[in-house]
Amino acid sequence: MATTTTANHAEKAEIFCRDESRVDWHSKALWLLRQKRDRAASSLPEWEQLRELGSQYKLHTLSHLGQYLEQFEANCLKQGIQVHWAKDGAEHNRIVHEILAKHQVKKLVKSKSMLTEECHLNPYLEQHGIEVIDTDLGERIIQLNKQPPSHIVVPAIHLKKEEVGELFHEKIGTEKGASDPTYLTRAARQHLREQFLSADAAMTGVNMAIADQGAIVVCTNEGNADMGGNLPGLTLHSMGIDKMVPNMEAASVLLRTLARNAIGQPITTYSSFYHGPKPGGEMHIIIVDNGRTKALQDELLAESLKCIRCGGCINTCPVYRRSGGYSYNYFIPGPIGIAVGAQQDDTNTTAWACTLCGSCTYVCPTKVPLDKIIAYQRRLKAEQGKLPYGKERYMPIVGKVMGSATVFNCAMSVARFSLRHLPHAMLKPFSGAWGKYRELPKAPKTSFDTWYKQNRSK
Amino acid sequence: MSSKSDILAALGSGALKPHPLPQVEIAPRLDDLVGQFEASVKAVGGTLIRDNALAALQQQVASLVADGQQVISQVADVRGNRATPEDPHALRDINYAVIQGELAVAENGAVWVTEQGAGIRIAPFICENLLLVVRAEQLVANMHEALKRVNLENVGYGTFISGPSKTADIEQALVIGAHGACTLTVYLL
Amino acid sequence: MKIALFIPCLVNQLMPQVAIATLELLEKLGHQVILPQGQTCCGQPMTNSGCFNEARSTVLKLLNAFKGVDCDAIVCPAASCLVAAKENFHEFDNSAEAQAVLNKLYELTEFLHDIAPVGEFKRPLAYKVSMQMSCHGLRMLTLAKATESMTPEYNKLEALLNKVPNIEVVYPEPHDECCGFGGTFAMDEGAVSAKMGKDKATAHANTGARYVVGYDPSCLMHLDGMIRRLKLPIETRHLAQILNDAI
Repeated sequence: MATTTTANHAEKAEIFCRDESRVDWHSKALWLLRQKRDRAASSLPEWEQLRELGSQYKLHTLSHLGQYLEQFEANCLKQGIQVHWAKDGAEHNRIVHEILAKHQVKKLVKSKSMLTEECHLNPYLEQHGIEVIDTDLGERIIQLNKQPPSHIVVPAIHLKKEEVGELFHEKIGTEKGASDPTYLTRAARQHLREQFLSADAAMTGVNMAIADQGAIVVCTNEGNADMGGNLPGLTLHSMGIDKMVPNMEAASVLLRTLARNAIGQPITTYSSFYHGPKPGGEMHIIIVDNGRTKALQDELLAESLKCIRCGGCINTCPVYRRSGGYSYNYFIPGPIGIAVGAQQDDTNTTAWACTLCGSCTYVCPTKVPLDKIIAYQRRLKAEQGKLPYGKERYMPIVGKVMGSATVFNCAMSVARFSLRHLPHAMLKPFSGAWGKYRELPKAPKTSFDTWYKQNRSK
Repeated sequence: MSSKSDILAALGSGALKPHPLPQVEIAPRLDDLVGQFEASVKAVGGTLIRDNALAALQQQVASLVADGQQVISQVADVRGNRATPEDPHALRDINYAVIQGELAVAENGAVWVTEQGAGIRIAPFICENLLLVVRAEQLVANMHEALKRVNLENVGYGTFISGPSKTADIEQALVIGAHGACTLTVYLL
Repeated sequence: MKIALFIPCLVNQLMPQVAIATLELLEKLGHQVILPQGQTCCGQPMTNSGCFNEARSTVLKLLNAFKGVDCDAIVCPAASCLVAAKENFHEFDNSAEAQAVLNKLYELTEFLHDIAPVGEFKRPLAYKVSMQMSCHGLRMLTLAKATESMTPEYNKLEALLNKVPNIEVVYPEPHDECCGFGGTFAMDEGAVSAKMGKDKATAHANTGARYVVGYDPSCLMHLDGMIRRLKLPIETRHLAQILNDAI
């Protein structure tokens, strides 16, 4: 097993769990989102039908992706949109920088885009002397706090309002000690308004790209994508190849489920269709692969690309809520983070940061089989000889003990078996951490096998 | 061009078997569309005016203008006091924008606004308060019905607006008024 | 019916009372019950960790114990083990014989609800029980509607308990969140697992019920360890134990 200096998931989770009242606060905040989602979903009699449609549209598109990407590009070009293709994050960043440099952009306002997190765009542009302002309130908070997002939809969910108040006092001059969310939001509105008005270019992520229109859809509640996108002449939009949908009908399905599943709203405040540059302006779309075509080579991993990044799986995940967004060693946490990021986790533990309870799979608006993908990620790790938590040592023993005893031998030696082998091999999972947090099981006098022989066998 | 051909080539060997294109066959909920819409607008933090809406809007705008508020109107028969500029930055001090919507959606309170209706793309976002006008016969049940009617042919930009801008990024506390308009009133004609 | 019992290792070694109650209940219901020899484990500790090679001999040993056994149904009082057995049998053996075993596999709740439906029970049990809707039975065997799903309500565990006179069924809040056991997860991720277990055990105790009742012994064992550590005024019981008391 590779040695690493990065703390593994269990270690980070253990640290997170030390402050139990904070864990309770964090868990409750996210569970509230799950409850809102349940109310919004249950208000539509066709909810389960929409999930199935979402899955079918995505599977159809992913299985014809080359054709739809080409159709999309051709339609964009007709609209005067410039289209770029990037096979990885480095190429994406290079393309973005070239466009910005050509226009002598000094300040870029950027709305939420998990893809630009994935490509590490901000540090790249900053190294090239371009100031990047994240404009989503949550993202601005963590940008000022020099942290990555801890959640894909509510990126500052790990911070308490007092902590945001302290940060804003220091960075944007709010009153000392003020922590009222309305006051802080208003202050951020003023602060970011100046940024919007002085930006040279704007950048957004993409929620959907509609092939037969050559249009992209960007969804926000705050209006930051549109405040940015509609002020400076130059706008850029980065999208993974998985954002494609065939037509408006497919978009209508996802627009009904996305916000309901994410935060329990019937739709985001703004669902904007960008279909061409503004008069005298330029509009660029950068289509990014960065590992997605590789995932498509595997029938099960391909289903992870059905994800529409609503965050519903993260909100429902009982492990995420009690371990926090920074425990996953990947920029996307929770079930979807494991599904798409486990192979990049050098500690080889995030694939095991899951009880396989399946709640995520049931919540998902496009039916990504998250629990199956997570179990599969473990199998892939095992095949690479990258097992965590000493499993490479004890699993073969468990396998041997459970599987090698003959029928008679096993039946006759239960007592001996239990005494001699169980504490070392079979009971390995129940020692250590088990006894630290829980009472050990009350050991019965005999096994059921023995009881059965004494009471039923003739 | 090489990254494009690399990506397309890699897609050629994808593992997914071809899945057919599905179709939406969901019966729209057609009972009391106006009532549904009104409830939705309220739920997303907006206000719906449905009685004598045009007169109410004209009166409202007249009094705003009289108060010295900066009002841009793109709606015929409603007179503001600001013209549509070429540079969107010129609208930084706009208090009210009056904009014609082309479609309204009962299930979520959204109104479809195009760049033509807005006059300039930034108008519905940069204003402090947004007044949207939409005709009752342009009310549809849900997003499937809405996107059937949206035609992007000559539309470079369009947006569904559902309520005023909002955020819950600080401790999940809902705050109305993030970066877009802080209030939204829909006038149903 | 002639029933072969599938008693997973955890139940056999640590919770024989669950197996005994299952056997007695099925016998009292008029079934003929046998225990095929040579069963150990469904392989779940290994396969859930991704270790399929290590699981092979164990899984095949269990499967072989049921091959050719003369019975109408194979019944298991442990939902999670049953799910794993189904998946793992399929993984390692695609023969017609293996399929014949798979076709007869039932979890106890679904057997009593769907396959050989039970009538009303005679003996009243005048106490409150808090439902432990364990994940694999809930979401993989669909023993009840999960709270995430927007399909019509049903719950086979509750339906069976409602056949017992005077019993009162209540739910913890949240209804069906994972208890945090997760097999080796309980050890690998001790802190999170324990916090989940604590929250779940506390939610059960807060209902004021006398017993936490479920269909999955592993989760019940986890909750029992948590309940005793926290000294909560509630105990765990398997569905079979409750029904065996009521018949």
